[in-house]
Amino acid sequence: MNALRQHDTRIPRRPLLWLAAALVFTLPPLFATLAPWVPGLLLVTIAAKFWMEPRGYRLRSVVWKLVLAALALGAIVLSYGALRGIEPGISLVVVLMALKIVEAHTAREFLFMVMLSWIICLCGLFLAQSLTISVCLLLAFVLLLAALVQFHRGSAVGDLRPPLRLACSLILQALPLIVLLFFVFPRITTGFRLLTPGSASTAGFSDELEPGSVEKLALSPAIAFRAEFPDGKIPRPAELYWRGLVMWNGNGMRWRAPSAPAILPHRQDAVPGQTLRQLITLEPHGGRWMFALDWPVAAPSGAARAPGDYLWSWQPITKPRRYEVTSVIKRGSQELSARERALTLEVPRGITPKVRELAEEWSNAGKPEAVVQRGLAFFRDQHFRYSLSPGTYQKNDLEDFLFHRRLGFCEHYASSFATLMRLAGVPSRVIVGYMGGEFNSVGHFFLVRQSDTHAWCEVWLAGSGWTRVDPTAIVAPERISQGLDSYLESSAASGETVRQNGFGRALSRQPALTRLRLAWQTLNYEWDTSVLSFDADAQQAFASEFGVSGVTPFVLALLSAILLVLLVMAVALGLHLRGRSRPDEVTLIYRRFCLRAARLGAAREECEGPSRFARRAALALPKESARIARIVEHYIQLRYAPSPDPSLRQALRAEVKAFGAG
Amino acid sequence: MKSDDRLRVRLTAAGCGLLFVLLAIWYGASSQNNAAAYLLFFALGSVAAVSIAHTLLNVAGLAAMVEAPKPVFAGDEVSLPVEIGNTSRRFRYFVSIQAADSGGEEERVDEIGAARAARTVLRFTAPTRGHHLVEKLRLSSAYPLGIVRATKSISTSQAYLVYPKPEGERPLPESFISTQAIRPDADTGDGDEFAGVRPYVPGESQRHVDWKAVARGQPMLTKKYQREVGGTLSLDFAKVPGNDLEARLRQLTQWVLEAERSQRSYSLRLPGVIIHSSLGEMHLRQCLRALALFT
Repeated sequence: MNALRQHDTRIPRRPLLWLAAALVFTLPPLFATLAPWVPGLLLVTIAAKFWMEPRGYRLRSVVWKLVLAALALGAIVLSYGALRGIEPGISLVVVLMALKIVEAHTAREFLFMVMLSWIICLCGLFLAQSLTISVCLLLAFVLLLAALVQFHRGSAVGDLRPPLRLACSLILQALPLIVLLFFVFPRITTGFRLLTPGSASTAGFSDELEPGSVEKLALSPAIAFRAEFPDGKIPRPAELYWRGLVMWNGNGMRWRAPSAPAILPHRQDAVPGQTLRQLITLEPHGGRWMFALDWPVAAPSGAARAPGDYLWSWQPITKPRRYEVTSVIKRGSQELSARERALTLEVPRGITPKVRELAEEWSNAGKPEAVVQRGLAFFRDQHFRYSLSPGTYQKNDLEDFLFHRRLGFCEHYASSFATLMRLAGVPSRVIVGYMGGEFNSVGHFFLVRQSDTHAWCEVWLAGSGWTRVDPTAIVAPERISQGLDSYLESSAASGETVRQNGFGRALSRQPALTRLRLAWQTLNYEWDTSVLSFDADAQQAFASEFGVSGVTPFVLALLSAILLVLLVMAVALGLHLRGRSRPDEVTLIYRRFCLRAARLGAAREECEGPSRFARRAALALPKESARIARIVEHYIQLRYAPSPDPSLRQALRAEVKAFGAG
Repeated sequence: MKSDDRLRVRLTAAGCGLLFVLLAIWYGASSQNNAAAYLLFFALGSVAAVSIAHTLLNVAGLAAMVEAPKPVFAGDEVSLPVEIGNTSRRFRYFVSIQAADSGGEEERVDEIGAARAARTVLRFTAPTRGHHLVEKLRLSSAYPLGIVRATKSISTSQAYLVYPKPEGERPLPESFISTQAIRPDADTGDGDEFAGVRPYVPGESQRHVDWKAVARGQPMLTKKYQREVGGTLSLDFAKVPGNDLEARLRQLTQWVLEAERSQRSYSLRLPGVIIHSSLGEMHLRQCLRALALFT
């Protein structure tokens, strides 16, 4: 540490520049999750440092440091209401970094800041692990390495490139080791789990449906899940009803799912020919429902089937999860128990007479199928309109919607239709999930976004059991057949809705850009499914692919240590070989000549010059004396002449080759 | 210059900090079961491990050559010129060098190119009078990431001479001997008065060569000077009061320097050593050397 003490006066400016650049790349995950002032403060202090540093300003007063620290702590408590939990914790680290930046002035403090930056990278990965964020943090990682290299490169202000180049080559040389450790390093679970970020628990819809709850997701491009069909059977877009939650409790326009549903036994009556396997990678949404195409037969591990045929996870889904599920396209015979029948016919009390009248009129149609048709006809014929911005419905919302405004989004149609069916004596329920999705032709998977959120109904028909009825399909058939994006586009073209930027949309439909977008989505998918989901179980599965099973963490740790040592030695060897000084060709040829001469009995002395050696060798080997003289003459020419003839080299090589051969 | 081929590696304080950070990242990754955090852990750990190889090779194969330092007085600063040679095709960065047993400060070379050498001067305080050896040079570097410091010891046997520190309050002993004691031919003299010329003796200082005469085509002649002040000082160890050997030697050193400064010829008498009266740089060095090595 002598070197440090000696020069421990001031942070060199160049490394500080690298550090600041690195910190900027750690900001995206922080801005996405933390209270905006926290990363904002970091940004401001970085900027302030570059203003202060050349002027020699820094935060010196201990009182001010304490006051600022107390203020920051207070602001964190105010923002989050507590200091516990992952977000306040990370905010604390970021604020500490911000204050350190303003205060730091020695080389030692610079090293401390670099270490704190690694921790901020870690915090960023706690908050988000998507490919975009990871690439950002990788850039931050490279820049931090460059900062360290620059710091240890001395005070000479040189080019910006060499430290960056060395940082990149360090990573490239470490890459094989990183990849091997990723597979081999023991993944054991330690310690307590921190609370996961709050943002994850609010993604997507909730277990309550009310006017406006789907509509607010309609423009969200966030990913809900991605699905693959491993058997290659891809259903038509209009059949892609991804079942999420079944809502039994209706209250007019407001529906609710049971918070803790009963659990159904594993179903045995699956018809093999009609099943559809799906591999689903679910983004965390904080709830416990999982998705599958209508209708899932068996629950994946860690989940069960709930009444109404939907998947219910044992644990809240707070991190990406991948599961395989099998659905049947056509269901066998079903029964409706008396209890269920009562439940699905239950109507709320606050229904206005006008609505009741309408439903009673439908019930005159007789058979449930006919009642459903009457209901759908009502929606078709009475000028209902499908809109992203239907406005809010206040009191008597059902009557207002059905008879006056007639403007709604899918949740309006599904909930009102289900309520009307119950009023007309047909058991019904509301299903919330996703409809459609974008097929990625590069990666062969469906990408389902939050904007694909959809609500529809199921009614009980004595002959065929629970039957899907989607009133939205009656009001806006294109929405179902094309997906929401296309629907919005076509309605924008006809001048109805102007919610989306038409130009941006048109641009994103360019074939080249589409391909790029699909490739990026595929890369994201691979990242999520291959990298992020690799855990202890995946590791055991990976090991068993090599015919090894039941590897203990100890063996894995030992293997990792051996790999580490071997690969570092390999890198050292490579560097050594590349840096070795290599003699030029002429020297090599001369050496060969000396070796041959030694074999013939005239060994060159260590300190003997060429001409002296030539004289001695010629005496010792009289037969070869002429050749020896030529060789040495060529050698001296090549070595010492101001501009030797290049053809001499060829001649020298030939002479040495002939020397001692005959 | 034989080099001790053993490279030693030790963790720096920053390296300890990084280990702590790695531990924290591992704990975070394993408790959250977060694959991305695991990747960060592997990346940082692997890069740190690979950087150790870089650090080792940044120092391995370096050679150091020491040049003879000028003699100095005890307590003054020795300047030891060093050349660090790099025979490989790899650039070396940020190499520190230290004279290990002399306790001097480290000097740092920012860059040594492929097949180049870098020069620096090591400075350290001269110890007590006498002959000393620079036995070991320590080359070290923590480049590129500062996680470990690789150290290479190079043994040398460069000697340097340290004169006693000139110290003492006593005035010069004013015992005059006749001017005849000066052997005029023995020296060019260092006075102001020109006293003719004599043939140049090869090897002697060229300061007093009559260059104008050489320019005129004459052979090299040395100009002789004589002092006006005729007195010669006799500096005798026996006549320095006190019992402390070192203190007496320091006093003698002080006198020798004073006599030289005032351009008065002087003789030095130590038990077993007699240096006849004279003046000039050669004479001064001879006297100082005798004082430094006296036992």
